[in-house]
Amino acid sequence: MPAWRYLNNFDWILFLAILAACSVGLAVIYSATTGTPSSGAFHRQMIWLGIGLVLMVLALLIDYHTLAEFSYVFYGIGLLLLALTLVFGRVVNASKSWLGAGGVQFQPSELAKVATILVLAAYMGRERVRGLGVIHFAAICALIGLPVLLIMKQPDLGTAVTFAPLFAGVVFVGGIRVRTLLILAVIATLALPLSWGHLKPYQKERVKTFLEPTRDPKGSGYQLIQSLIAVGSGGLMGKGFLSGTQGQLQFLPEQHTDFVFAVLAEERGFIGAFLALGLYFAIIYRCLATARAARDRLGVFLAIGVVCVFSGQALLNIGVVVGLLPTTGVPLPLMSYGGSSLASTLLGMGLVLNVWMRRLVN
Amino acid sequence: MGFEQDYKGFQDYYEARRLNVRILVIQALLGAVLVVYLLAFWYLQVVKVDHYRRLSDSNRLRRVTIMPLRGVIKDSENRVLANSRIAFNIRLDREKVPEMQAFLPRLAGILGIPETTLRERLAKYRGRPAFEPVILKEDVDLAEAAYIESRRLELPMLSVEVESRRNYLYGPLAAHALGYVGEVSEDQIKADPSAAYDLGEIVGKAGVEKQYDSGLKGVKGWKQVVVNSFGREIQEIEEGRKSNPGRALRLSIDLDLQRALEEAYADEAGSAVFLDPHSGAVLAMISRPAFDSNVFSRRFSQDTWEGLVRDPRHPLQNRVSLSKFAPGSVFKIIMSIAALEEGIATPARADHCTGSWRFGDKTFQCWAIRKGGHGYLKMREAIIQSCNVYFYRLGNEMGIDRISKWAHRFGFGEPTGIDLPHEEAGTVPDPEWKKRANPRDPVWHPGETISVSIGQGALEVTPIQMAVFAAAIGNGGTLYRPHLVLSREVREGVEEDEHQDYVVRRIDMKAKTLEVIKDAMWGVVNDEGTGGRARIAGRDICAKTGTAQVFKASRDVDADKLPKERRDHAWFVGFAPRDDPKIAWAVFVQNGGHGGTTAAPIARAVLERFFGKEDARTGVQQLASVAVSQ
Repeated sequence: MPAWRYLNNFDWILFLAILAACSVGLAVIYSATTGTPSSGAFHRQMIWLGIGLVLMVLALLIDYHTLAEFSYVFYGIGLLLLALTLVFGRVVNASKSWLGAGGVQFQPSELAKVATILVLAAYMGRERVRGLGVIHFAAICALIGLPVLLIMKQPDLGTAVTFAPLFAGVVFVGGIRVRTLLILAVIATLALPLSWGHLKPYQKERVKTFLEPTRDPKGSGYQLIQSLIAVGSGGLMGKGFLSGTQGQLQFLPEQHTDFVFAVLAEERGFIGAFLALGLYFAIIYRCLATARAARDRLGVFLAIGVVCVFSGQALLNIGVVVGLLPTTGVPLPLMSYGGSSLASTLLGMGLVLNVWMRRLVN
Repeated sequence: MGFEQDYKGFQDYYEARRLNVRILVIQALLGAVLVVYLLAFWYLQVVKVDHYRRLSDSNRLRRVTIMPLRGVIKDSENRVLANSRIAFNIRLDREKVPEMQAFLPRLAGILGIPETTLRERLAKYRGRPAFEPVILKEDVDLAEAAYIESRRLELPMLSVEVESRRNYLYGPLAAHALGYVGEVSEDQIKADPSAAYDLGEIVGKAGVEKQYDSGLKGVKGWKQVVVNSFGREIQEIEEGRKSNPGRALRLSIDLDLQRALEEAYADEAGSAVFLDPHSGAVLAMISRPAFDSNVFSRRFSQDTWEGLVRDPRHPLQNRVSLSKFAPGSVFKIIMSIAALEEGIATPARADHCTGSWRFGDKTFQCWAIRKGGHGYLKMREAIIQSCNVYFYRLGNEMGIDRISKWAHRFGFGEPTGIDLPHEEAGTVPDPEWKKRANPRDPVWHPGETISVSIGQGALEVTPIQMAVFAAAIGNGGTLYRPHLVLSREVREGVEEDEHQDYVVRRIDMKAKTLEVIKDAMWGVVNDEGTGGRARIAGRDICAKTGTAQVFKASRDVDADKLPKERRDHAWFVGFAPRDDPKIAWAVFVQNGGHGGTTAAPIARAVLERFFGKEDARTGVQQLASVAVSQ
């Protein structure tokens, strides 16, 4: 099939929505970091956006079937990098999650995430199954469990958690029976109190703080309270670009990473938050549409994998900002400052665009 | 295009539809969550916007107090006694020091402060934001300030802070009248929430600085500043209020008299106060040992301050209004007035002193016992010679009730109401008082009346009470409330006299009584009496000496040869000139021995200065040289 036909079938809406989200993110990062020690973040994010877009183009130019064929190679590389990180990684905030090559630092866990999506899709696409057998279920668990274990070892709970929506999405679309789903849900609920004992003290603190933010307003409740103040004081119209006092005066911690949406809501108000949420919904909607329109199971699971990771992170992040979820430290895809996250998200979106472009059987 | 065959298409229509349904379920779920989020944003940003706006403002806006300049304190001739001066402090910006430990030895050299001291000062700021400057050296001279300022490039971490500081121009002069200032204590902040004290605010702590603090301190201003999350000031907002400088205070104290008093007092301990007998205005006032009020204005004066507080001689205590002593023979004036007014005696009443008087089973001595007593005396001689026996018997005839009645009339046993923060009332004993004060021995013994008759026993008076009493004799019976403030600034540059009625009461006395008393007191100084050392020819000084016993004098001991701390306290109380008194006083010298020996010359020195100024004012100077030559 000639290349122009693919271009004809390109999902411009998804592509433009992604670009729009990245631009908004850049603007907010600019506003949140001007005059602070992290003022170089804007330029670095620009460079990473360029790298990410190149990766995205690569990911959509090569037929996703070809990529799936080599998925186990990518997956292997991903696991290897994670293992290397545990040995040679740089320690930031008490966790070893960065790997350096020359002057460039990146988080292998982000790369491993895309590789896992790809390998899961390849597995699910290859097997012809009605419902989801025990073997298949175990295979999915193993494919996701390996990178998750390595990431938990760093330890980077925030990134590990983002694999949960991937697991849920693949298992659900893969055809798990509703009865099995309910049983799993019951087991998970019962296991919850048991897992409390295995949480680290700071993780317990986060949950307690979420349930009662004023408990420790100077300590772990501080982020949550300051985030709510930033969002709430933005009002309907917002305080204006570069005028959000919570972000500009650095009351808001992590204002250009985990709380970038709070800065957006402070400076752009409810209108801005509404439009940004709309943008995310548009991206999620287009990804799901791709899943429904895919020409084979591989395409379906690729799109599902990407959209589950993407929406899981986005909703987790924004839920924290508005105080609906406990602090997890998950970046907002496409908007938060962070090169690895941006690049891996764009890579994933490239795969979705790839599936949409090749949805028609010639 | 070879790999597509490896991936299975959909098995059938049903499988495709099942996938489709499940994807739609995911879509619905995500859509629902987004709607919930949208509602959350609506709630926070539209419903609760006012609440969060307020929180946001209180986050970033800080109210900064602007301290006003403290009011000036002047003497009666508008000479400045206390003002505020500019002080230079050297501050360290810790943020600009890359390696503190390595920098400290160099810093110690630059500032001339031991490294250990620097470490201590820095330690106090541990845990405070790093941008908050540390004051390393305070109140440096202009040269040092200039040295630091001129090396800003070389030493960017050091800067000079300009601060206003209370300044007492004459150091310890009139320290107890002026008082001192210091940082407001936590107790004060709690005790008076309406005053809205700021932490570290400078307030009056003693003397008129405390008494008139509200006017002296002025009205604080404030401004709003925007701060970031570390508390650093980012910008100033127009909103705010300027501070109003403190109001000036003009005291009735005359710097010239005060200086004369300070000089004359030399190294003695005790106190003295000089009053205008026609108003009760304090012309000079001293309490020794004293302190330098400037010590309290400094930040690093902890040691000096503790030294003053712990000093067994209590230099911080204002002995003018807080120390109580027996009035000694000065009380014989009250005895005489009471006897004359109550009709117990006439001036012609004569008695024979043999040096002692046996009453009951006790012998009461006269100080003249060694020379065999005073012999026959009338009231005037009894006062001039300060004969004890004469007043023992007079007191015995009069009874304690009449004595205490007249002592109370002259203001003893009650605070004078002087405008200083604390005052003692003293004690005028009587049977009622004894019942209350001494439950184990509640009965008044006649012998106690005998002791009170010569100003001993349980009688206790303060020097300020004595001065007020002397003024009342001099002015013909008006008891004034003594005061230190002549006028106060009411608006900037506008002073208003204190229009207060300082009259406490008028004491009704026969003209004859006053004449006799004044004549006797004149005789004490001018007619071979006990106060001869205060004599200034032509000034008609009237006074009475007194001795408050510290150690029971015995017949064999020469009082002047006792060790200093066992010697009696000396009083010298009076007014001058006799016919139209212009000044009244009480001089009290602790362990001064006899009143005529140590206290009288002090009073004389001040009186010389007083009359010298008087003469200069009226253009009559002919007597000045005579007074000195006496």
